[in-house]
Amino acid sequence: MLMIQFKNVSKTYPNGTHALNNVNINIGKGEFVFIVGASGAGKSTFLKLIMKEEQPTSGEITVNGINTTTMKRRKVPYLRRTMGIVFQDFRLIDKMTVFDNVAFAMRVIGARQSTVKKRVPYILGLVGLKDKAKCRPAELSGGEQQRVSLARALVNNPSLIIADEPTGNIDPEMSFEIIELLNEINKQGTTIIVVTHEHELVHKFKNRVIEISDGKVISDSGILSEKVEVPIEISQEDLAQIPEDIAEEISDVSAAELSEEALRALVQGEDEEE
Amino acid sequence: MRGLSYLLKEGVRNVWNNRMMSLASIGVLVSCLIITGAAVLLSMNVTSVVESVGRENQITVFLNDDVKELEAVMEIGPKIRELDNISDCEFYSKDEAMNELRDELGSLFTELQGDDNPLPHAFHVTMVDLSQYDDTVKDITSVDGVYKVSDRSDVASKLTNLNELVTQIGLWLVIILGIISLFIISNSVRMTMYSRRFEISIMKSVGATDWFVRIPFIIEGVVLGLISGIISSIIIAFLYEGMIAAVQYIIPFSEIKYSEVAFRMSLAFVVMGMFVGALGAAISIGRYLKMEGGEILGW
Repeated sequence: MLMIQFKNVSKTYPNGTHALNNVNINIGKGEFVFIVGASGAGKSTFLKLIMKEEQPTSGEITVNGINTTTMKRRKVPYLRRTMGIVFQDFRLIDKMTVFDNVAFAMRVIGARQSTVKKRVPYILGLVGLKDKAKCRPAELSGGEQQRVSLARALVNNPSLIIADEPTGNIDPEMSFEIIELLNEINKQGTTIIVVTHEHELVHKFKNRVIEISDGKVISDSGILSEKVEVPIEISQEDLAQIPEDIAEEISDVSAAELSEEALRALVQGEDEEE
Repeated sequence: MRGLSYLLKEGVRNVWNNRMMSLASIGVLVSCLIITGAAVLLSMNVTSVVESVGRENQITVFLNDDVKELEAVMEIGPKIRELDNISDCEFYSKDEAMNELRDELGSLFTELQGDDNPLPHAFHVTMVDLSQYDDTVKDITSVDGVYKVSDRSDVASKLTNLNELVTQIGLWLVIILGIISLFIISNSVRMTMYSRRFEISIMKSVGATDWFVRIPFIIEGVVLGLISGIISSIIIAFLYEGMIAAVQYIIPFSEIKYSEVAFRMSLAFVVMGMFVGALGAAISIGRYLKMEGGEILGW
């Protein structure tokens, strides 16, 4: 199954800039893809087209099996609910606490307060910020702020995470940590697209790399056509993140005996249970 | 809808967070509402005065000299009463007229009594609607035996014109001030939106619907309108009593008691304020909703 499909997509802005030129990209469900390229190569346009912040000039875009090219404007919010977005500049609201910043993403799509109260601490736990829930973004380091931003992207349980230069504003060590975290999320089945110009970072991870230059795909380390198998590995650490009440329910079953499905449901499917 | 209480809270919070601009909006909207209300009240009072003048000021219909008292009462009176726009028609004999004249001017007229009385018989007629004065007078004049009608058309037409003028000016004031209020409120909401553009961009990126983005700002506009409506209702109540007292000191007239119109007036203020507020807000939001991502932030 494909998560993202670009078919002969071109984008020319009203000012005449040819941002993308006949681009074909397929990204499967559960993949982790780096998009690299110099600034102005068309990476941002690529992301904007996925989020439907921009319309392609020609070609066809399919996201999660839905053709977004012909999608009605009022349906766009529902498309965006299936994706989480992480920005280079974090885009956290300074006057809100870490908790409220994450909860904001749930509240604006009309989540119940009771759901918010359960879900936000759980997600903050996943990104290792449980203790910082009451802090303001300004009191956190860049890496921590980006993890809050990631928690916000994750909180509505998206099937796709888009990160636009997520490491652009943070220390190199922290950058590594953020990509690690994204990798962990990926292992649980979420498709991840990371746009970056930091080649060094990309080389440290063995993920698919698509390079865009002058609006064209010039290299792709793993062209993929059909089904992608996503190995699911649950580490001890992951298990520790499972909320206690759920952990108790499964305490008599050893982790090894649990099926992939069940674990996935446990780790990311809290919403469905409610 | 889920999250409605959240949206309400957000809307009210907007008013407070943006209090300088809110204060300005409320100030302008209150002025607009009060001027509008004053125009309406003035018009209502003028209408009421015109009506009471119409009631109190009878016209006198003089009959031909040769008409006898019996003929006047039995034939001409009923004919006049049958006409449109007549509320009252009372016989006024030439003897009564002479007595009244003598009372006013003294014994000079003592000899002109009985058959020597040169005055004609008459009717005192009251109209329902003074604005139809001319037509009614024409109708009365065409009745057999009527000589002429005492001319009061000046007073009637002046009052009617004044009422029309007040209504016209009031209407234009409402339109112009309404537009100004709309402009000010939409600016106030635009300021809030500008200061919250960052949140709007995040809301849109996580999939908030247009209505979810819109509602807090509409609520902000409605709250501004509601507050303005309430303040206006209170101010005009005091203002009205004071003004009426001042005018009555110069020209006594039968005014409309504020308590009679207080409820309708307050309701109109609040509804109008809320409507202008919501409309003003809606005008501003459209622009932001069409923008995406970085555009909202001005990048």
